[in-house]
Amino acid sequence: MTVAYAVLLAAATGAAALCGLRWLRVAQREHYLAGSATRFARRWWLGTGPNRLMWLAAALGFLLSVVGLPEAGVVAAAALAVGPFGLGLRGRTSKLDWTKRLRRLAITAGAVSLIPTAVAWAVGGLGWGATLMVAAALLSPLVVDASLALTTPVERRLGQPFVVAADARLRAVHPDVVAVTGSYGKTTTKGYIAHLVGGTKTVVPSPASFNNRAGLARAVNEHLVPGTEVFVAEMGTYGPGEIADLCAWIRPRIGVITAIGPVHLERMRTEERITAAKAEILEGVEVAVLNVDDPHLAALADKSGKRVVRCSGRVGGADVCVQDGVVWSGSERLGLLADSESVAPTNLACAVAVALEVGVPAEAIAARLPTLSVPRHRLSVGTGSTGVTIIDDTYNANPAGGTAALSALRAHAQDGGRRVVVTPGMVELGPRQQELNREFAAAAALAATDLVIVGNTNRAALFEGAAGGPAALVTVETRDEAVSWVRDQLGTGDVVLYENDLPDHYP
Amino acid sequence: MSAGVIFGGPSPEHDVSILTGLQAGRALSGDATAVYWDKLGSFWEVDTASEAADFLDGAPKGSRPLRLVAGGAGGGFVTAKAGVLGKDKPLSVDAFVNCCHGGPGEDGTLQGSLDLAAVAYTGPTVAGAALGMDKLAFGAAVVAAGLPSLPRALLSAEGGPPLFDGPYIVKPRFGGSSIGIEVAGDWSTAQALLRTSVHYRSGGVVVEPYRPSSFDLEVGLRTYPSLQTSAIARPLRSSGSAEILGYRDKYLGGDGMVSAPRQLPAQISPAMEKAVFEASRVVAALAGLRGVARLDFLVDGDDLYVNEINTIPGSLAKYLWDMPFATLLADMLAEATAVPAFHYDSTGADGLALRSAADIASKLG
Repeated sequence: MTVAYAVLLAAATGAAALCGLRWLRVAQREHYLAGSATRFARRWWLGTGPNRLMWLAAALGFLLSVVGLPEAGVVAAAALAVGPFGLGLRGRTSKLDWTKRLRRLAITAGAVSLIPTAVAWAVGGLGWGATLMVAAALLSPLVVDASLALTTPVERRLGQPFVVAADARLRAVHPDVVAVTGSYGKTTTKGYIAHLVGGTKTVVPSPASFNNRAGLARAVNEHLVPGTEVFVAEMGTYGPGEIADLCAWIRPRIGVITAIGPVHLERMRTEERITAAKAEILEGVEVAVLNVDDPHLAALADKSGKRVVRCSGRVGGADVCVQDGVVWSGSERLGLLADSESVAPTNLACAVAVALEVGVPAEAIAARLPTLSVPRHRLSVGTGSTGVTIIDDTYNANPAGGTAALSALRAHAQDGGRRVVVTPGMVELGPRQQELNREFAAAAALAATDLVIVGNTNRAALFEGAAGGPAALVTVETRDEAVSWVRDQLGTGDVVLYENDLPDHYP
Repeated sequence: MSAGVIFGGPSPEHDVSILTGLQAGRALSGDATAVYWDKLGSFWEVDTASEAADFLDGAPKGSRPLRLVAGGAGGGFVTAKAGVLGKDKPLSVDAFVNCCHGGPGEDGTLQGSLDLAAVAYTGPTVAGAALGMDKLAFGAAVVAAGLPSLPRALLSAEGGPPLFDGPYIVKPRFGGSSIGIEVAGDWSTAQALLRTSVHYRSGGVVVEPYRPSSFDLEVGLRTYPSLQTSAIARPLRSSGSAEILGYRDKYLGGDGMVSAPRQLPAQISPAMEKAVFEASRVVAALAGLRGVARLDFLVDGDDLYVNEINTIPGSLAKYLWDMPFATLLADMLAEATAVPAFHYDSTGADGLALRSAADIASKLG
């Protein structure tokens, strides 16, 4: 019996280590938010038939090992070591990165698993120790989440010196600070601002995806060179208070909100709460630049109590408007775009408003408009090796962008050619995820001749939404399979839209 | 002699300085020490085998942070202590090749800091660097020395036009010879540029007459072991339509100025050649040259004008000299220690004033 339990302890420890790696990778990709490992574990284990069976087997094996069948425990450990199917250990798109923070988290998770095992072994003998280790493997996502909860305050303390250094650098360099937030369009707007201001003043935009406390502190410490006149900080938020916390040391003079949408609903629950969280950016500012085409922001503009520059994608009423490639400042025609199709009008309107606010002359803005560039992966159009026209919208993750992308698909369609949408659907939409993916699929099934559904995350909702439409439905497991399908099936005269791409920690 | 190179610096020419610095670091024999000055102003000891692309995100991985300690003897670059028990360790370098183009590396700022830290370096002194960087002051000094130069005037939003008519070449008063150069048809167009161009934000802007028919000549100058001039080169404009020789022409060919298009030696008349060499010798004395400099001229018909001086030229103007780069660098380093850039003099401060002074309080009354 002792030998059997020793084998079980070894197997369970190995399984717990492998499980730990999987859920640590998920936690890292999900910005170390406590709860994310468990949320994704439910998605993976309950997503497909084989994974559900595997998890049941593991749970059953654990129970049997508790009542004295160590062999069953070994089976459970084996199932946990390999499953869930599809979730790799290292990852392809989102590799595990052994940063110092991840190491601290891994050590904590190891301690959370090992200490109860050791205590149980000491008190109740080897059998209890081994059984508890199986439990640790089975509940690995909970262990990772508990470790996240334990380490988050420590990490905050460890990050404080970088924030202090960034604060000092901001005071020393003393740039005019613009903060940009919004559910989508932040990065695009930031890029437009940098481009429009860059010809006249020295401007430093925060690098892509440096939009939280640690990232912005790093951006300031590493990129805010002496002599910088304008600093554009992109701010993301996963919960209330986060942007207020950033603004306390970044101290923006101008606050920009690009749009409010059902992104991150999983954590934020309602769009009203999202609006409130984003509106924190306006608390200390002198000027608020708002996209008033968004009803939430139009309401905010009326009650913010700040000087508001209203921006719109339609002429009439707003302070800065962009419509049909023409940029208006009030009733004055400010300039003309070279390529109006690929430019997001409300984002550009916000950027023009910021450029004017920081003191760039109107003629200098007009001179930079024709060279406005489109950020990579945001609705860019190219031609594939087989001659197929490719519309790349893989970085879009919101319904409004999806609708715009479908219009682009129609615009690029050729007579007799196929129109294909390849998508895994959209995520982080909380209670509305099913509904919004159904709606998108229904619209896609009307616009396209074929709809290729990637992965398992939104398969059911997309299938349901597209079922009534004329488009043929294809399902594939991974993005790579979708790409080979496109290569096999499509050529000159056809057009394919890649809409959103999920990193591979999603099922 | 243990040699070092210092390159980079918080300047628009930061990137090109890295190219020059890495070239010099490789050409120096043995184990040269490489000091990288990043865009934020921090100093790093880096591997001389680093490649240009390693600097895309600042100091390459594994670089050691340095501090520059002022204070005469005992000053210099030190590696910051690591851990509680670590100790500051001075970098043992006898002299640095200064490869920092533009900005504080070429305008006297770095030179002054190195002087205070008692670090020997190549290239201009504080005074030489400051004069060379100031196009307005340098032009005035050239005219005062009786050499031909195109007139230059300060461009300001309020001021009226200068005594010469447009079209004008507009350029930053301080800074490299190729960044932020524009042609403006008249005075009001030039004034409008003050508001719209990022290159004219600080430090002032100068204008000079634009001569479309003119072309550039450049000559290298060095002062050690004795005053020498290089062959004369005529840089060519790669893009046919470009109005002036720009940053792109000079630096974006791959290896910095080494690969920029040029005619070498320039096909000019013997009389013109003689005029260039004579003017060069006058300027060398005028600007207190040290190290290797590049003097730029403009030729319009039979007229020769001294244009600008570059006291730390791109690639240290090695392409102008008919000698190995290593020899050029060795001579510069020898000069750096043999002819110090600074000389403090306290002759006359013999204590007499201290001895005869009564108490300080009585002087305040």
